[in-house]
Parts: sequence; structure tokens; C-alpha cells
Amino acid sequence: MTKPNYLPQGSEVEIFNHAASNKLPVLIKGPTGCGKTHFVEHMAAQLGRPLYTIACHDDLTATDLVGRHLIGENGTYWQDGPLTKAVREGGICYLDEVVEARKDTTVVLHPLSDHRRILPIDRTGEIIEAHPDFMLVISYNPGYQNLMKGLKPSTRQRFVAMEFDYPVPEREVVVLIQETSLDKQTAQQLVALGNDLRRMQDYDLEEAASTRLLIYTALMIKSGLGAKEACMCCLAQPLSDESETIKAIEKLIDCHF
Amino acid sequence: MEEWVGEVWHKLITKRANTEYPDASVSLSAVASQLAPYFRALGGEHHKVIEPTSSLKINFKRSLIQRIAGTHQRTHLCWHDERSIRLPANIAVFPTAALNQQAYFWLAALSAELPKIQHWFVDNQQAILTLITKRPGLKRLYFTLVDAFIQTRPAIDELEGKQLAQEQAVRKALLNPGSVAELPYAEKDPYPILLWLYPTPLSSVSSVASDDDGLEENTAPNQAQKVKGVSKQGHRADDAKETDGLLMFMAESLFTWTEHMNLDRPQDEDLEQDLAGATEDLDFITVAKQRRSNSARLKFDLDLPAPYTDDLAIGDGIKLPEWDYKKGRLKPDFCLLQPMLADDTPPSPVPAELHRTARKLRNQFSILRPQQQWVHRQPFGSELDLDAYMHSVTDPNVHSQDQDLYINRSNTFRDLSCLLLADLSMSTDSHINADQRVIDVIRDSILLFAEALDSAGDPFAIYGFSSIKNKQVRFNLLKNFAEKYTDATRGRILGVKPGFYTRMGASIRQSTEVLCTQKTTQRILLIISDGKPNDIDHYEGRYGIEDTRQAVLAAKKRGIQPFCITIDEEANDYLPYLFGDQGYAVISDAESLPTLLPKLYLNLTSLS
Repeated sequence: MTKPNYLPQGSEVEIFNHAASNKLPVLIKGPTGCGKTHFVEHMAAQLGRPLYTIACHDDLTATDLVGRHLIGENGTYWQDGPLTKAVREGGICYLDEVVEARKDTTVVLHPLSDHRRILPIDRTGEIIEAHPDFMLVISYNPGYQNLMKGLKPSTRQRFVAMEFDYPVPEREVVVLIQETSLDKQTAQQLVALGNDLRRMQDYDLEEAASTRLLIYTALMIKSGLGAKEACMCCLAQPLSDESETIKAIEKLIDCHF
Repeated sequence: MEEWVGEVWHKLITKRANTEYPDASVSLSAVASQLAPYFRALGGEHHKVIEPTSSLKINFKRSLIQRIAGTHQRTHLCWHDERSIRLPANIAVFPTAALNQQAYFWLAALSAELPKIQHWFVDNQQAILTLITKRPGLKRLYFTLVDAFIQTRPAIDELEGKQLAQEQAVRKALLNPGSVAELPYAEKDPYPILLWLYPTPLSSVSSVASDDDGLEENTAPNQAQKVKGVSKQGHRADDAKETDGLLMFMAESLFTWTEHMNLDRPQDEDLEQDLAGATEDLDFITVAKQRRSNSARLKFDLDLPAPYTDDLAIGDGIKLPEWDYKKGRLKPDFCLLQPMLADDTPPSPVPAELHRTARKLRNQFSILRPQQQWVHRQPFGSELDLDAYMHSVTDPNVHSQDQDLYINRSNTFRDLSCLLLADLSMSTDSHINADQRVIDVIRDSILLFAEALDSAGDPFAIYGFSSIKNKQVRFNLLKNFAEKYTDATRGRILGVKPGFYTRMGASIRQSTEVLCTQKTTQRILLIISDGKPNDIDHYEGRYGIEDTRQAVLAAKKRGIQPFCITIDEEANDYLPYLFGDQGYAVISDAESLPTLLPKLYLNLTSLS
């Protein structure tokens, strides 16, 4: 696997390395599309550990993480889930948007995230001790004000936690150029537009324009789509359904391109 | 005949003098909904609203024909204050509608960039320069507008002397922003510059006074005059002086319409006179800053409503503790909370003006009603549960009697209940605009919220609260969990009135008790408030905050999730301390509360 480009925003690389060498689990907080997953991919490549990414959804149960019995030619057999695999073989298990998963999933994480570092599998009666290279990383977005979802304090305080945010404009320009090899001038215009759009968050937009969206836009521009069209279809339309807000964003795009 | 001739002449000459393009006119109302997000995106302050401005009288040199026609004495210009940005109600200066519309967006952008004007001539140029260097598209827009705008200005060859020098400086500043440091002096003000912002006409007395001393050292003499000339339009009377009612009066001074008497008599207005007509003739209207100043500043115990007009008190009241932060402990049985029921309000349906919104909300929320879903591991059901079967075959601790091997369709319930606690304190009696008080907004919000939740099928209760010291915390029952939501409940909600003070802690404690009777997994306590906790005894400032915080913490400990929605713009200072960073929402535009509240509830409780 080629090592993905990553531009550090602060000391997150150092923190992650220390956590990894001390076998501590890591929690990453941050808004949508600010580079959480990308960072974990980068770190996995840098540490040379396999990465098991699990995108959590509201139907994800502990079984999906730990594993299940399947029917084979000779009756049933046990199939490890991604978490069990990482625990056995060593590797980074990354649970993206962990608050989306059902509550019972966090229970299996508890014995893994403290000094015991074990994974009991009640279906098979096995208790697996984690491989020295096993590392648990979870992420979530605290910005959603949802009372039904949230990480319990008892879960949260088992992790080394870091907070991510969108990069500062100068860095975001570099990220755009690195990821899409767009020319600097256009990248700067895009980032300026992105920052204007972020000011509309909570009032006119539910979520801010993420770095990911800006990269999509840059890719579309790079491959030859007109800048204004690219901004409309990659920034304006995905961010809002309100026609008046979209018109306002259109005017805003006109300010930059 | 004379009248007829006069009328024809007036029409003719006005038309002749007109420099605008009525056919291309764009109105503010048509673009306002786009301007607001645009303004915010460019860095404008979130709480500012966009409003049309009344015309300002500008002292500039009019052409002969304009003077004959008597037009162009007043002109629409853009200005803003702490609360709003004021844009012309119509722009018809440019020959095409597209340009006139662009002008609105330009002015919104400039307002976002230039929130405060210190030096009118320099600041405008500087802000424009920053705007157009940052955003190339805006630069194009600006120069298109400037080119068109200069066409509409009086021709250079019609001017002479100082006027000419001034006009040339203005043109240079427009074409090359940032290049002109001073506006040359002339007797009259320059021809209005629509593309610029003007200083707030309603600037305070002190700032007007300081204008006389010269603004800054590099200010041209005319600049001071200029600012003064504009700020004269409005004039905030200095009624801060506490001489209410005592007036030094000189018999020979005659007061005219436009003069303000510093006499605090809010009840004294004689509405029989044609005030509206008078207002139009006024050059400035004096606005008293301290509306209801006495009742707001003085603390006095209010008379309680007479028992026969008051709501029905239920029971002898409930004793509740209160947190004393100085002692660091709860004072047991310190508050007496009195549940009240408005038993005399007639049942009533949803008011006509809310009908549409209510119906829309009902439709939206009906999707939350229990839906059928597959349930696994059932002892009987319509299909086999393969997963369960596999489990029972492979489980080392297999129980032979474990026969839950089917899946079945069944109803699932949203396992949550919600209690809405509304602040009905005296402060809700204040107005948020010409025809709505805070209490009206709260009332509509509660009603629409109830409509939505009733449709969603989530169990809910609604209470209101206000207090007069610790011995009477009034806890108005609007709907409890058990009763059905009917017209009688609606009647009670529609009858809410502003009460007294805000002893929030006691009400939260009682709400916690009520919520704890609910057997659902999730219990939500939504609080609508319009300000800090306070009462007329020691319950204010830190004491009130600490008590409320303890009540909130206690509620959380008992598994209740409190969330506060407030229209108090300063709430960011204290609400994080009370409810946590993610435990509150500040609604800057109070009028939107009724529609936002159900939406917020949906966001807070949606599972997907």
C-alpha cells in the first residue's frame, strides 16, 4: 500500500505514535470530512500495521465486529469478525463514527481498551489476548446535538482523545494541491470559498463545507469541469436543499470565480 | 383647473427630473432571503437582520430640474447598526434589473466587511479594497457596478470649483479604492454614493458630540460636517439622566414637533392626533432608549393576582430543596412549589394563522409513529431465524429448551418521553417586534411542538413556570403525561400569560420528579428560556446559576437528558456552564422559534 499524503495540523502524529507504543487506544473527535479517516490510514501506513476500518451504522451489532458462525460443507464453522482479526493478528482496528453503532458494541470494546487488552468471545468461549501490535481507534463527530447518540463517559475515558478541525486556510490549500495537483491560484480561491461557506454553519447550513468536499470540487475542476459548475454540484447542492440558500451560495461562488 | 394643471405639471417635471429606471427596479423583499445567508457567509454577524431603510435627507447639490421638481431631497442609502443592516427598499439606479440586484449583493458584502465605520471616506475605500483583493469574482462585480454607477452621477462638465474637485475625488476613490485619503471640502455633500455604506443615523449622543471635535486628525473639515449631517437624521435622546419628571422649563422656549422633551410619560401619548402624518414630516424621530425603564430597573414585589382571577392551585404545594453555593450544600425544603392549573380557559382549536404550519408538522412527525419491523429470536413467528438457529447449534452452553428460532414482524416504539418546561417569567412580556411579544412566540412554539409530538406519538408533558421568591414557585400545568392532547389542552396553552420571575432550579427539580415517573429508556427535559435564572430575593447572579446547575446535574444523574433552548443572545456566556457545550441552542431570531423547536426536537431524538 502506498503511504497516503498527510499534512499534520498539530502534534497529532506524535501523540498517535506515543499512544501506539504504549498500547493505548485512541479516540478522534472532529467534524465530517476533516481528515480523521485519512489520518488513521496515514498512521497505519507509517507504523506498518494492517488497518481494519469499520464504518459504524445503526444496525451494527457486536456480532458484526466479533464474528459469527457460518454454514460450510462440513457443518458450521466460526468466522472471525474484523475486530477479532485485528486482535489476533495485530493491526489497527478503526471504528468510524462509533456512536452510530448499537450500544452493545461498546461493551465488547471495554475489556480491549483497558489494561487487560482481551477480547472474550462468548459464542465460542474463547478469550483472546490482544496481539502486541493491536490498536483500537474510534472516531465520532460531537457536533451532532443528538440526545440519543453520544459516547458514554465511561467509554470515553478509556481513550487517549484528540480533537480535529478543518485545517487553517494555508494548510488546506497545500492539502488541496497535494491531493489533486490543482494550481495554487484556484486552490486558494476554493479554500476562501470554503471558509465563507463554513460561516453559514448552524444558521443556513446544517454542516460546514468539509475538506473532503473541497477536494472533490478540486478534482472536478482539475479534470476539466468549469470552476463554477464544479462548485455548484460539489459544494452548493450537497450542502443544502433550500433553494434560497443555494441561490445565495451561487452568488457567493460568483464572488470567488 | 388650477389643480389639474398643477398635477400635470408635477407629473411632467417629476418624470423629467427622475434619474432612476423604474422598469428595472428590484425590491429588497425579493432578494432578502438570499442576502441573509450571503451576508453571513462573508463574515457578517449572525444575529443581524436585513431591513429596508427609510430615506435619508442628504445635503447635496441638485440639478436645476431636480430643484424645480422638488425631488431628490431624500435618498435611500445603505447603513447599519448593532442590530441590523439597512438596505434601500428598492434599487432602481441602474438601467438593468441584473445590475440593481447585484448592487444589493454588493452592499451586503460590504456590510459584512465593514461592521463599524470610523472614518466614512477612508473606511469604505479600505473595506472595498480588502473585499476585492480577497475575492476575484467580487472584483469583477464591483467594477461593473462602478462603471454603471459613474454613468448615473452628474456629468463632470456640469460641475465647477470645489464641487468639481470633490466629485473628482469621489470618482477616483470609486475607481481606485484606497487611493484617496481625503475628501476635498465643498459647501455641499457629494452626490450620494450608493455603493458605499453610510454612518448610522441613529448614532448616540456622545458620538455626535465627539464629531464636533473633529473625528481624527487626518479628517478633512468637511468630513466632520458630513458625518454630522447624516447623523442628524436620527437622534437618540439622552434619557439616561435620572431626572424623570423634573424638568427645567423656560417659558419662552417653544417646542415644535421635532423637539424632544425629556419627560418620561409613556402613558401620555395622545393617539387621537395624526401621528403618522406627523412622522412623515419629521426630520428625525427621537427614540427613547430606555423603554419600560422603571419597571425593568426597579425591584419591587408585585401584587399577586386576586385569587378569583388566578389559576387554580392544586394541593398545598411541594417542598423542594435549593442549592446554596456559599455553603456548598442543599437547603432542604427551602422552596414551595405550587402546581397551578388554568381551569377557566375555554377549549379552543389550533388558531387559524398556525393551521398550515401545524398540519405540515403533523404530517412530518407522523412518520415517527411506531412502524413494523423484523424482530429476531422470537419463540414463534412467520420465518425462521437462521442466525438464532446457528447460535443454538454452535453455542457451547446450549440449552435444549432455548427455542427462540423465529423472526416476526412487530411494532417498535420510540422509547422516549419528553417534558417541555417553558419560562413564563415577566420578561416574556417584552416585545420582539411591532406586533409580537416573547410570550406570543413561546405560546406558538409550545402549541406547534405539542401538535408535532402528538402526531409522533411520543409521550410528552408541558409545564410552564415563574416564581415570586422561594415561597411561591408557580408550576403551571399545561399538559401532563397522562392526559390526551385535546382542545382543552390547546386552550390552556393558548391562555399562557407572563408571570413573575425565573426560579429555574426548583422547576427543574420538579420536572425531574415528573419525568422520573415515566418508564421509557430516554427521558428528555426541554427547557425554553429567555434569560438567566433570577428572582427578587437573593436568587440572582451566581446564586441562581449555581442552583440551576445543581438541579441540571441532579437531573442528569437520574438519567434525564436536559436540553435548553434560549432566545437570550448573551446565553453563550452562561449556558455552557449550566447545560454543557452540546446541551443548549441559542436561537438568535426569536420569531423563528415556533418552527425551529419541532425541528430541533427531531434532530435531538432522531435515531438515524
